[in-house]
Amino acid sequence: MSAFLQYLITGLGVGCAFALIGSGLVVIYRVTRVVNFAQGAFAVIAAMTVSSLLGARVPHGLAEALAVALAGLVGLLVGLTAIGKPGTSPQSALIVTLGVAVFAYAVEILIWGDQPRSFPGLPASVTVLGARVQSHYLLIIAASALVFLAMALLFARTDLGKALTASAANPYAARIVGIDVRRMGLLSFVIGGALGGLAGVLVTPVQQVTFDGDVVLVVSGFAAAILGDLTRPAATLLGGLLLGVAQAMVAGYLSTSYQSEVALLLMLVVLIAQAARRPMIQEETA
Amino acid sequence: MTTPRPGTVLTAAATLALPLALRDDHLTLYVLLGLAAMVTIGLSMLMGYAGQVSLGQASFYALGGYAAGLIGVHGGPTLLGLLAAPAVAAAVALVVGVPILRLRGHQLAFATLALQLILLSLLGDATWAGGAIGLQGIPHLSIAGVELDRDIDYAYLTWAGVAVTMVVAHNVMSSRTGRGLRALATSETAAAASGVPVGRYRLLVFAVSAAFAGLAGGVYAFYVGYLAPGSFPVLLSVQFVVMAVVGGLGTIWGGLFGAAAVTLLVQLLTDFGTRPGMPSYAPSVLSYAVYAVLLVLVVLFLPHGLVPALRKWWPWHRPVRTRR
Repeated sequence: MSAFLQYLITGLGVGCAFALIGSGLVVIYRVTRVVNFAQGAFAVIAAMTVSSLLGARVPHGLAEALAVALAGLVGLLVGLTAIGKPGTSPQSALIVTLGVAVFAYAVEILIWGDQPRSFPGLPASVTVLGARVQSHYLLIIAASALVFLAMALLFARTDLGKALTASAANPYAARIVGIDVRRMGLLSFVIGGALGGLAGVLVTPVQQVTFDGDVVLVVSGFAAAILGDLTRPAATLLGGLLLGVAQAMVAGYLSTSYQSEVALLLMLVVLIAQAARRPMIQEETA
Repeated sequence: MTTPRPGTVLTAAATLALPLALRDDHLTLYVLLGLAAMVTIGLSMLMGYAGQVSLGQASFYALGGYAAGLIGVHGGPTLLGLLAAPAVAAAVALVVGVPILRLRGHQLAFATLALQLILLSLLGDATWAGGAIGLQGIPHLSIAGVELDRDIDYAYLTWAGVAVTMVVAHNVMSSRTGRGLRALATSETAAAASGVPVGRYRLLVFAVSAAFAGLAGGVYAFYVGYLAPGSFPVLLSVQFVVMAVVGGLGTIWGGLFGAAAVTLLVQLLTDFGTRPGMPSYAPSVLSYAVYAVLLVLVVLFLPHGLVPALRKWWPWHRPVRTRR
């Protein structure tokens, strides 16, 4: 029983990180209809930055905050590249973000080298109902809960959130009522960057990060977000938690070598099941 | 049947003459370039006509390689291995294509990426395929008792493969099926309304592009003699996308030209990066940067790719060939 609880909390913690990556994808997709392939790079860059800052004796807390801010800035740069040029279709923008993700490899190796990096998180471990868990997992869960609450409030209650959603739902109408669609798009990339960065900062103390670890992160985030059709943060959180717990259970009870396959298969099944409910021929929007 | 165009004749002549003039290390590059071209021509068809980004094309390259390699390692006839490579890749494409091709756009892109990650992970665990260490000691290809053991043999074999790929691609595209596909690329609804079996044609292109990649993988296995999951990283799939996009999607020459341009540029920079005095990370940094910058610049500023852009200046340009 205590083993089960340990896997559960570990899974929830990792799942929160997937959900944060996925929520970054959701924010950007909701506003721009662009699937941001560089989402995993935000996490990697933020994590590497924290490891450097801590090495330079910047205190914990400040280092993490600076790294998340940097990830937001990187998000802005990615946004400018992907949607800055007028007339770039979301499909082209996906390929652009793929290019940017590869470009990030070059920058990361140049600055941090190609070895995996990590840094310490919350040191102690706590006992929850007889199961010993690293307390850092609880920190991840608490931080994610706050972020998702804030996101729900942003999109449901504020004018800014409504303006963000309107930009994608009907860009033309949004422009007529005075919403700067381009600025909303760039803002979504900044938020997405910060969310990705936060995920990287939170998860690195329990999982090492390498420069090309972004592929697994972005695929896991996508898998989480696809449950809500890339538009619903709440479903993304649920998707991330399911994914994280499923992985932890498979790793705990079966074998660690199958955990990534489980996530990927889960994503494929959901995708195909969703597609099966749609007609084979789709309406063209153009 | 039209008369061969001057460009085709020039390319064929250059292809046949080049191996005789090349040094050994350049010959290796020439073989790898041809293999990349085979995969890219297929991917260019898939992306240009079925309108789908595949981020997992290297999985079919790997499947072909492993099919050929396993037959070779177990003492089977190597020619059978070479034939099995495209067949296995196409068969797998047909099986996974049925559910997968219901997906569109970014969903298909991620699904193909997921399939490649699953394949790599399965290959890494499969002891019968050598696991993470890989498949070693794959024999050279022998055709009718003649063993192909020199680089120049593989250069001719590869470019014969490229020729086959181009002819098949050309015939698929100019057949009735190809016209249906072109209609499909322009407007799916209109194509379906005119009786084009959308799903079946999409599956066909997927399988053909997989067969091209599988054939390239088979030649690669016999040429290099060693395969591991690490030989087929996700970045290889990205590389094929870069080549296809740079050359120009939906054109056969675009596949060839894109593969050549990217391979040569990356090789040039790798040579530069491995000069004495350069830091050890220079080659990988340079190649990542080249892939990235090419991809972004071409998508943003030359959305149809290099070949359609260059065609305007081509002396034998025929403006009548309508594309989408």
